[in-house]
Order: sequence, then C-alpha cells, then structure tokens
Amino acid sequence: MAGLKNADNFAKGETFNAGLLKWVLLMVGGGAAVLFFIIYAATSGVPEGEELPSVFHRGMAYSWLFAVVFFLTLSVGGIFWTLLHNATNSGWGTVIRRLMENLGSVTIVMFVLALPLITPGFRDALWEWFPQREAALEQGQEHANETLAEYRAELAKEKEAAERALAEVKKENEAAMATATENEKIYLNSEIRAAQAELAKVEEKIGSDEEMKAYLASSHFKHANAILYKKSGYLNGPFWYFRFFFYAVALFSIIYFLRGWSIKQDQTGDPKYFRRMRRAACGFLPLFATAWTFLVFDWLMALDYTWFSTMWGVYLFAGAALNSMAFLIILLTVLRGAGYLKEVVTMEHYHLMGKLLLAFTIFWAYIAFSQFFLIWYANITEETKFYLTRNTAYWNTHAILFLVIGHFFVPFAILLIQGLKKNPMILSAIAVWTLLMHFCDVYWIIIPERGPSLTEGTELILAGNFFTDILAWVAVAGIFGFGVMHFLGKGSLYPCRDPRLDESLNVVN
Amino acid sequence: MSTTATSTKQPFGFVAEFESATDLYHAAEKVRDAGFKRWDVHTPFPVHGMDHAMGMRKSWLSGVVLGGGLTGFLTALVLQFFTQVNLYPTVVQGKPTNLNTVPAFFPVTFELTILFSAFATLFGLLIFLFLPRWNHPLFESGLFKKFSDDGFLLVIESKDPKFRAEKTREFLESIGAKAIELVEG
Repeated sequence: MAGLKNADNFAKGETFNAGLLKWVLLMVGGGAAVLFFIIYAATSGVPEGEELPSVFHRGMAYSWLFAVVFFLTLSVGGIFWTLLHNATNSGWGTVIRRLMENLGSVTIVMFVLALPLITPGFRDALWEWFPQREAALEQGQEHANETLAEYRAELAKEKEAAERALAEVKKENEAAMATATENEKIYLNSEIRAAQAELAKVEEKIGSDEEMKAYLASSHFKHANAILYKKSGYLNGPFWYFRFFFYAVALFSIIYFLRGWSIKQDQTGDPKYFRRMRRAACGFLPLFATAWTFLVFDWLMALDYTWFSTMWGVYLFAGAALNSMAFLIILLTVLRGAGYLKEVVTMEHYHLMGKLLLAFTIFWAYIAFSQFFLIWYANITEETKFYLTRNTAYWNTHAILFLVIGHFFVPFAILLIQGLKKNPMILSAIAVWTLLMHFCDVYWIIIPERGPSLTEGTELILAGNFFTDILAWVAVAGIFGFGVMHFLGKGSLYPCRDPRLDESLNVVN
Repeated sequence: MSTTATSTKQPFGFVAEFESATDLYHAAEKVRDAGFKRWDVHTPFPVHGMDHAMGMRKSWLSGVVLGGGLTGFLTALVLQFFTQVNLYPTVVQGKPTNLNTVPAFFPVTFELTILFSAFATLFGLLIFLFLPRWNHPLFESGLFKKFSDDGFLLVIESKDPKFRAEKTREFLESIGAKAIELVEG
C-alpha cells in the first residue's frame, strides 16, 4: 500500500474563494428575480368584468413555485446526505461531506425565496383550497344543520312510536295479568321491560352528541366541496402558516447544527463533535422525514386538494436525493477544475458517488413507477385525476420521453458500466443530464395543474407562461448558486480534522 | 492421516505465510511484477486494494450477469405479450390488450430479470471457479488451515510456467515469507 496518505498532512484544510463568480451569480439571479416581480406587478390589474387578475398573472405563481421547489430539492438532498453520512458513520465520504453540508445549508436561502408563496396572490392562485375554503365550510355547516334536523325529526317519530308501543303492551299485559299464572306473569312483565328498553334506547340516541356526530360522518355529502370540508381540519390557514415555518425551522436547524459542529471540529480537532454529530443525526432523521414529507404534501400534493397519494413524500425524496448527488458530482468536478480538492478526492470517490447515483436512479424509477402503477391499475376515480391530466396531449409525450426514457433508462444503462463511473467528465455529463431530467420531472409535477386550475378546465397548457417559468428558474438558480458559493467560502472545503479523514483519503472500493 | 510417499503425487505448489496484511500486500505486488500467473492469496478478511496489488483485471462475471438479466427481461416480456396480447387477448380491469398495457407486465418482468441475473451470478461464479469439486490439494496443507484464523497466505501453483521448485522457494523467502510449505496434490 505504497503512497498511503496521512491525514495529518491535510489538517490545514483548503479554503475556497469564489471571487467574482459569487457576485455575478447574485447579479444574474437578483436581476431575473426583479424582472420577474416587475412583470408580476405590471400584470396585476383586474380585467374589466372579471373578479381576478389575468390568468397569465396568476400563472406566474406556478412559475415561482416550480423554480423554488426545483432548487429546494437539491438543497434538502444535501441535508439528507449529511444526515446519512453521520448516522451511518460513513468513512469514505468524509472528504466530500463538507460539500453536502454547504449544499444543505442553502435550504435557508430557498425558504427565503419561498416567502412570496405565502402572500395571498400566490397562495390563492396555487392552492384552490384557500379561496374555496370558506364556502366549503359554510356548505358543510348547512349540510350538517339540515342532516341533523332530519335525523332529529326521524328520531322524534321513533320515540313516539316506542312510547305508543309501550303504552299498548302495558295496557294489554296488565289486563291479562289478572288471570295469569306465576309463570305467565313473568313472561308478561318481561314484555313490558323490553318495550321500556326500546324507548330508553331511542331517548339515549336523542340525548347523545356522539350519536349525532357519527350519523353526520356517515351521511352522504351532496355538495361539491365535501372533500375540502372534510379535510379542513388539516387544510386551514393558521395551521398551514404554522407548518410553513415549522418546515423552515426544522430543516434548517438540522443542517445548522450538523454543519456548525463539523466546522468547530475543524478548529479544535476535538472528536467529541464527531460523536455528537453521529448521535444527533440519528435523532434528526425522523424529523427530517416528517418535515419533508409534509412539506411536499402541503406545497405540491395540495395543488389539487382532492387528490392524494401516500407515496408522494417518498417520490419527491427520491428525486431530491438523486439530484442532489448529481449536483454534488458537478460541484466537485467544477471545484477540482478550479484547482481545489485535487489532493484529497480520488477517482474512488467519483466511483462511489457514481454508484449512489445509479442506486438512486433505480430508486426514483421504482417509486415513480410504483405510484403510477398502483393508481393506474386500481383505477379508482379519486386517485386517477393526477395521471389523467398528465396523460393528456403533450404531457403524455413529456412523461414517456423525459421521465420513462430520459430519467430512467438512459442514465441507468450508462451508469451500469463501471469504467464510466470512474471518469469524472463522463460522470459529470451524466449528472448534468440527470439534473435536466429533474427539471422535466418537477415541471411535470407542478405545471400541468396550472391550466386546468386557472381556466377551470378549459385550457390544458398556458403557453404564455413558459417564458416566466424559465425566468423564475434563472432567478432562483442565480440566488441558489450565490448561496452555495457563500457557504463554500466559509470554512475548509473538507472536514480537515475529522477522525475518519484518514479512511476517506485512502478509500479503495 | 495424510498420504505417504508411495503416491504418484506431483507438487501442487508453495504455501507461504506472511506476517501481516501489509506484508502480504507488498509480497503480492512483487509476485505480480515477477510475472507469475497461477497464484492466489488467502486472508481471514478482505484486504482493500488487493486485486490491484495482484494485478487482477475486471471480472467477466458482470458480463454473464448482464446476459442473464437481459434473458430474463426478454423472456418475461415475450411470455406475457405472446400469451396475454397475441395468443389469447385477456382483458383485465378494462385495460387494453396492446402496447399500452405494458405497465401491467413490469412486475413480472422485473422479477424475472432479477431471478435470471441471480442465476447467472451463481452459476457463472461456479463455472469460473471450477466448482463444485470434491477436494482441493490445499486442504492437505497444515499451514493453509490458518487462512480462516490469522494467516495471511500466498499460494504459487506448480502449474505456473515460471515455477521452479528451489528458485521459487528462495523468491518467496526473499519477499518476506515467514513460513513456507510445499503442498502435494
């Protein structure tokens, strides 16, 4: 094992200076963002005879959501890889762990960029349940009042009938009692008791709130917003706002602590931080999973509140993990091209990252296909809506071309070949391709909702908004890139005093 | 218990024991550079980078597995398409009987791909390793038994064109073997 690297020689770390690039990215992103919001403001007028601003204006909300979600998946993937590395005590990736930590930290930038989503203009255009909620609640209340009134009247009739029956039985049996034997008397009395019990039962029903609730729950809702009424316990304004900030705090604090300890370890070399990170990461994992799953429920699945899929969280997670690994590969190649990390990162690291890229390409396809397959095969009305929209006209071609072939078959076939995973340029090219396909994936998740939602089903695709989609993407991309450069510039490019550095420097697989 | 000198046995090769995994690694590099072809190392645990030190090329097994996987993939598709679409069109759950029904065939296709790949892996490996076999000359060696305990062993077979009884023993000594045993078989 000639030429083993000694971690002591690398304890100084490397510092990164983005220089002008960082500010160029901010200028491009910020400029595009300003342009985007100028256009948004300029089109905010309400056309004559209408209640809401133009479809184009409201469609821009989807553009912004698309751009934010695309880059949020990359940064959240960074949090996931950091967590996984610490929780599994993984040695090989120590030299690239700082890149993951930095990528994950950009999450806070993404949440700042997501703030427009909570303004009424964006919010009401994106999530119909916001503007429709009040009407749904009113209808629900009306329904409850009507149904319960009917039920009470019915119960009153039942009570009357039970009283009448009791009176009759009493009258007949008491007359018969005079000539009855002891045994017959017992029978006659029992008949009276049965009638009394019948009456008590009805009376209990009338007095019980639970009975009313149960009846209401099992009653058939006739109005259109029944689903929204029933989901209003979760889909309501205050709770939604609370969750928005909960996601931001939960996701960012995970990476804030992990990265903070990692940087402190660089300075002090104290291994207690490395043990603390490992312990904390295990605890953070459920929090991460919960926050991310419900975030995509709230932001993406709720674009159509009538639709649901229990695989939604995993689906978005698979895309996030895969593409954040792709982004890390590109970032690593760019950094090495600029002369950083030349000594510490070897082809073995590329090979390992390529393997993870392959694994998550398969995982993504597995989850995406399973979700489609279960819904397609079961063919239940309330579940198929999502795929019906996305199998119509252009979207069908889009899905087959970009998702089935482009997102899975192409990278899968290429990544199977071992030699290609050890070649940084080829692997980076595949990573760029994967990110392009992720663009198509997120686009396909969000944008098909836009036409049907804003035009009440008369138009499938709002071609006029394509330009704003790209503009929003450029805006967020620039600011995201600035965020990555900013965090890269703080602290060493790799955890230079981590106890596992030795193992990582000399990794062979 | 072992056989005595009356047999017609040929020497199988030398088993050499080394002090540590590091010593064995460097010894393997030297054996590789000396141009030996029929030799192997035996260690109680996997040694990272040993394949490189031994100068081993990439195994052909992955090609066999790919072949197995493709066979399974095509078998499943042909089997299902031929029976369910061509031979006896079967309408299930109102699904069409044409190319659009292919998602329904994916689970079986996936399973058969995996199954055939696994078979190809197992049987390909057995063929490449000339397994199964009843016995191996190395089992006669006392030194060899240490490979599953604490021995870092290197075996050079006599079938190697470079094998010369005394010279090879000297060579093994020169690269740091602490014990050498001639195995017959």
